[in-house]
Amino acid sequence: MFPEKEITVKIHDKVYHYKGDSIIIATGASENMVTFKGWTLPGVIGAGAAQTMMNLHGVMPGKKVLMLGSGNVGLVVSYQLLQAGCEVVAIADAAPRIGGYGVHASKVARCGVPFYMSHTIVEAEGEDHVTGVTIGEVGPDWKVVPGTEKHFDVDTICLAVGLSPMSQLANMAGCEMEDNPKKAGFVPVVDEYGETSVPGIFAAGDVSGIEEASSAMIEGRIAGVAAAYRLGFMDKEELETKTEELEKALSGLRQGMFAPENRGKKIETTEEGCKISETLLKKGFVAEEEMERFPGVTRAKGIHPVMECTQNIPCNPCQDACPKKCIKIGEKITSLPAVDESAECIGCGLCVAACSGQAIFLVNDDYEEGYATVTIPYEFLPLPAKGDKGSAYNRAGEKVCEAEVIEVRTSPAFDKTNLLTMKVPADMSMKARFYKAEV
Amino acid sequence: MVNDRNRDIGEYIEAEDDDMIICRCEEVTKGEIRRAVHAGMYTLTDIRRFLRTGMGLCQGQTCAKLVKGIVARELGVSPSELEPATARAPMRPIEMKVMADDLGEVE
Repeated sequence: MFPEKEITVKIHDKVYHYKGDSIIIATGASENMVTFKGWTLPGVIGAGAAQTMMNLHGVMPGKKVLMLGSGNVGLVVSYQLLQAGCEVVAIADAAPRIGGYGVHASKVARCGVPFYMSHTIVEAEGEDHVTGVTIGEVGPDWKVVPGTEKHFDVDTICLAVGLSPMSQLANMAGCEMEDNPKKAGFVPVVDEYGETSVPGIFAAGDVSGIEEASSAMIEGRIAGVAAAYRLGFMDKEELETKTEELEKALSGLRQGMFAPENRGKKIETTEEGCKISETLLKKGFVAEEEMERFPGVTRAKGIHPVMECTQNIPCNPCQDACPKKCIKIGEKITSLPAVDESAECIGCGLCVAACSGQAIFLVNDDYEEGYATVTIPYEFLPLPAKGDKGSAYNRAGEKVCEAEVIEVRTSPAFDKTNLLTMKVPADMSMKARFYKAEV
Repeated sequence: MVNDRNRDIGEYIEAEDDDMIICRCEEVTKGEIRRAVHAGMYTLTDIRRFLRTGMGLCQGQTCAKLVKGIVARELGVSPSELEPATARAPMRPIEMKVMADDLGEVE
């Protein structure tokens, strides 16, 4: 990018020059790396690289993987690795508490992945590729405490240790820049529309500060509207109405426990006054005795939703998913879901499929004498079939009882999530949260 | 001033991990970067010109932040106090024959 908003673009084998009246920079972010002995061995990859290999190219990054980093990227990519058929041996993080959403941590914890908090990589082992990894516990000085080392046989080490804005283009264009730790790096200074100090150059998404994907999309829309206004495609009034709506959505996404202003802070209770689960922050699942303090977790006669949603995050599809209006979150998008006891659950499972945190289950304690059913979201292949017998696992990923699949539902309305209903002994209805085919 | 070369930053002391590769594209080690700082290279642009860190295939995508951290530590300042190295076209590696095929016209 050159002065006077001139840019050169490579298309196939030619370089083209363009001049923009408005330019929106949306180059995103690049993955951070950490160094340790052996970090340049083949097999040490970024979590983003693992994701690209799996989701774009259909290639398994490895057979046995250690994930470093428990932010949302580390958690979600770990889950995708499991879906691709890899074994995730552990998720390690130097921080004392899991950085990503608890619901994402719980998805991998119930599959049996252990969390090692306050742990970092000591060494990647191997001659010409990774054959193992040693992690160790970090002390208050961030150095590994001798004697705490643990070894795992792995062929892949995934690094998910944060992102840095790729703001070189803005810098090149002469935009005013700042090094802002709240935005995770060197970013262009932008106004409410995403416009930089150079009139007509906008920045949207991670390039102007690391946030979630949904915030980036809204920032992109705001910058788009503002660029259209600048070019004379809309009047001031239209600009204001359009951005007001988007700004409102954006500020909603920036609330809750994981809001940018809360970064690094330890939050003890939810907005509703429920104490945050300590087990969730350390091990990735809410302990059984902690579960019933949350508003989504209630007992009822017959089939009913159990919403194991325990942190204030900006997410509310469950509220709109229920055709019977059983689930209330209310005006505030970060509120925990609660069951509306006046409405009746018909067991359709739309809420189970709608919850991207996979935190909603349908429990029926009155299925038949001595047995209950639990309906779980299921996103693994091969898909079990009705009549299959396997095992139920609890939130910690431990086998708790035998389970029989009594129904597997797939529907376009479920958006590729399958609903598996399993029959378990009556006392297991609030324990069984995952199914595996092996007995 | 971070890059005041009259400032005393102390002696270069050899470290255990000095042979660790930091810039993998250009094979530059941590020790080379640390020694360069002690030889008077106080800015990231100096380091880059002297050692070629961040000038290889990935254009610093992997090591820029690592190099910044090492230099800041050696200088005893916070990484945010260091000016990033100049950003310049091309943003991504590009073949010379493509560069030569520049149409030169502005649309």
